[in-house]
Order: sequence, then C-alpha cells, then structure tokens
Amino acid sequence: MLIKTIRDFFYDRDVTEVTTPALVSSPITDVHIDSIGVRVNEGLGKADALYLHTSPEIEMKRLLAKGSGDIFQICSVYRDNEYGERNFNEFGMLEYYRLDFDMHQLMSEVGELVNALGDSRPVIKMSYSEAFTRYVGIDILQTDLDTLKIFAGSHGLSDDFHWIEDLQMLLFVHFVEPKLRQHPICFIYDFPSQQAALAQVENRVAHRFELYLDGVEVANGYQELQSAEDYRERFQLELNKRQALEKPLMALDEQFLADLSAPLPFCSGVAIGIERLLLKMCL
Amino acid sequence: MAHYGTSQFKNGLKLMLEGNPCSIVNNEIVKPGKGQAFNRVKFKDLITGKTLEKTFKSGESLEGADVMELNMQYLYNDGESWHFMDPDSYDQYALDETAMSGAINYLVEQDSCVVTLWNNNPISVTPPNHVVLEVVDTDPGLKGDTAGTGGKPATMNTGVVVQVPLFIAIGEKVKVDTRTNEYAGRA
Repeated sequence: MLIKTIRDFFYDRDVTEVTTPALVSSPITDVHIDSIGVRVNEGLGKADALYLHTSPEIEMKRLLAKGSGDIFQICSVYRDNEYGERNFNEFGMLEYYRLDFDMHQLMSEVGELVNALGDSRPVIKMSYSEAFTRYVGIDILQTDLDTLKIFAGSHGLSDDFHWIEDLQMLLFVHFVEPKLRQHPICFIYDFPSQQAALAQVENRVAHRFELYLDGVEVANGYQELQSAEDYRERFQLELNKRQALEKPLMALDEQFLADLSAPLPFCSGVAIGIERLLLKMCL
Repeated sequence: MAHYGTSQFKNGLKLMLEGNPCSIVNNEIVKPGKGQAFNRVKFKDLITGKTLEKTFKSGESLEGADVMELNMQYLYNDGESWHFMDPDSYDQYALDETAMSGAINYLVEQDSCVVTLWNNNPISVTPPNHVVLEVVDTDPGLKGDTAGTGGKPATMNTGVVVQVPLFIAIGEKVKVDTRTNEYAGRA
C-alpha cells in the first residue's frame, strides 16, 4: 500500500520508473561500502566475476547521461559487512533523480513524499555546520584534524583517526544524532567538503544532504557531479583510502566514465532506505 | 583481564572505562551510509552509579572489568562498616558507607542481598526488592480508617521514612518496596 503511494507520487509528477541491472561488472569504490561478489558461468568454462549492486546509482546515471529525464527506481540492494539492528546485507532502496533541481528543491520534494506517506509532522532543515554549532559548540567547517582530536580526547572518545571526515562522523554520531530525535523529520545539508562523496562542492561545502527520521539516517542525496573528470577524481580518492586501509582495490569503472563523455545534466538525486522510511510510517 | 571488541559488546558486559568498572546498559550500532560503523554505548558506572555515553569506532576494544555479583547475607554494622558473608565460602566482606549508599535504608540483619565485587573488593550492594521493616515512630491513626484514603509518614527501624496507611501503628511490621521506597502491605 505504501509502495503504491510512492509510485503514485512519482507517476503524478511524470517521473519515469526504471529498472536497472542488479548484477554489475564493477564494484563500488566507496571505502566504507563493500560489494558482494558472485562468480557466474563457471559451468560454461567462461567464469566471470560480477557484483550485486550496492545502490542503482551508477546504472541510473548512465540513463541520465543518455537523456532519460527524471527517473525513479525501487529495488533491493546488497552490501557486505553490514551488522547491527538496523543494517542488513539486503535492503530496499528508493532512488530518484530530478533534472534542474538543486539540493534544496529535492529536499523539499522528499519532505513532501514523507508527508504523503502519512507522516504529517513538521519538516525542518538544518545545515551540518549549524547542527555542530548548536549541539557540539564547535565550528566544524573551520576546525582542523588536530584540534578535533584534542576535542574528542577531552570527551573520552577515540582520537585515532587519519582522516578528518571519519572523526567528523564520530562526533556527529555521538553528539548530534541523538539530539535530532527532537526534530522528527530533519534534513541535514551542506556537508564538509571532505564528506562530499559524489556531490558538487561550492564555497568549501558539499551540496549533499541526509534525512533523519527520529534521529535515524534514512536518506542521502546530492546535487550531482556532472563531468567524467569529477567522477574520476572522486572515485580515485576512495581508492586511495582503500589502499591506505589495505582494503580490496578495484579498477575504475572506465565504461561509466566513457558513458559520461556527454556529462550528466544538472540534477539532484537521492537514495532512500525503504525499510527505515516505512518503519517510521507504521508507528 | 581480557579485552572485548565492539562486536562482543552486549548489555550487562562489564568493562573498564576511565578507571572505573562499568556495565553496558545499551549498545547501539550506527553505520552512516557513507562512513564506518560506530557503537554508541550507554554505560552505568558501578562505583558512582552515574550513566555515561560513549561512541566507539567499530573494532576498538576495552579492557574487561573483573566484576562479580554474589548473594550474601548481611551480618552486622560495627559503626563504621557493614559486614556481609558469602554463604557458600563463608568469606566475609566489609562495605563502607559509600559502597552502601541507599541500601543502608533497607538492611535488616540476616537478610540476603546482592553484593557486587570488583577485583574481589565490594563496591556496591543491592537489597532485596521487598524487605520487612518495623515501624518505630508514626502518628496514631484514627480507628476505622482503611487503606487507600491517603497516608502518613512512618519511621522504620532502619531509619528510613515511608508513607504508610493511616491504620498502621508503632510496632507493626510492614513490607517495603526498596526500589520505590513504597509501602507494599502488612507483613
């Protein structure tokens, strides 16, 4: 019933439903997301390694580059090394892209979707920087790694970090997330540039957002990078971190980069964890 | 003492934190979509009784705390210390006023309590959920009063003051819930 509401929401807005392959030839480079590999065609003597998609992002961006226009997809995604009460190796994802939307327009629409699903509580937006000022008392965009380490140590938290983004995330999880329960539907936006992932960076902040429902991360969205060069640079950053952590390395997805010879149109996209989204709707 | 990694964290696990033995009250795994996994953990400090919240990178480890909870019999108070005995080993333990904390209000000689030992030293005591205490002082009640029409303060033989029904008189024995300090009936 709620899935039908989601579909209706997008059909009413002329967003096209698509299905992309779940078995892909290149694993994701994200340092903290592990793909599940599968071997196929061994019986044919043509053994090949494929990977279950960890999100349909790359395949959907191929469609966007080919001129698909606004698209959405509801599918299962698979991730290795997930554990905890809210993390699973397989979960449902709603992913969608809107042409000519900036990050704020997309956040507003996601808020409307949450309301359309029956959660009529107020939607608030808070920048990452404002959340840190309010709940931690530090200017997160201006504080360097060494100063953050001293701050973490003074609160009895680990200061064993090589990358500032990992320590920023620890402080966010420890100090900010629990406070977000006061704001049942809360968007956090404009992340530090070190946490840009695949979002556009402007004036030292990444146009990336997350949605928190009752303090639980439910969605992650970007004002999307457009050029192949930008994607190559961001993928390489993740590979460098993988190398430093001695995690499995993979070749860059050259086919995807080639498909971006015509860059992505200006657009914003978001991935929403369906179980986490609907769990809150059923309360 | 063994070390415990975050993947072994569970409620009730006793760990050393900032020099004090602590017990895990709540262990929440948080994995940001784009980040590494963390454990957001609530602890109870077994010495101070305070609650602490810490967040660990998954993979971190902490030293275990050598903490045991034993049923013991309360023997006597010598004015400075409260003495308990392990009925299995006959080992005796003396607790000071800090370790006794609120339990002082409910201890009756011969009663069985749970004593928490850290490195074999007693650090706290938990009285039974219900104890029988004797009323040593209270205003006389009116004849004909029944339970449920309010109450009055009564001082027990341990010194604690409990709200009791009006019909309870000096010298009577009453059952008291030690968790809420409430009257739970005539004994």
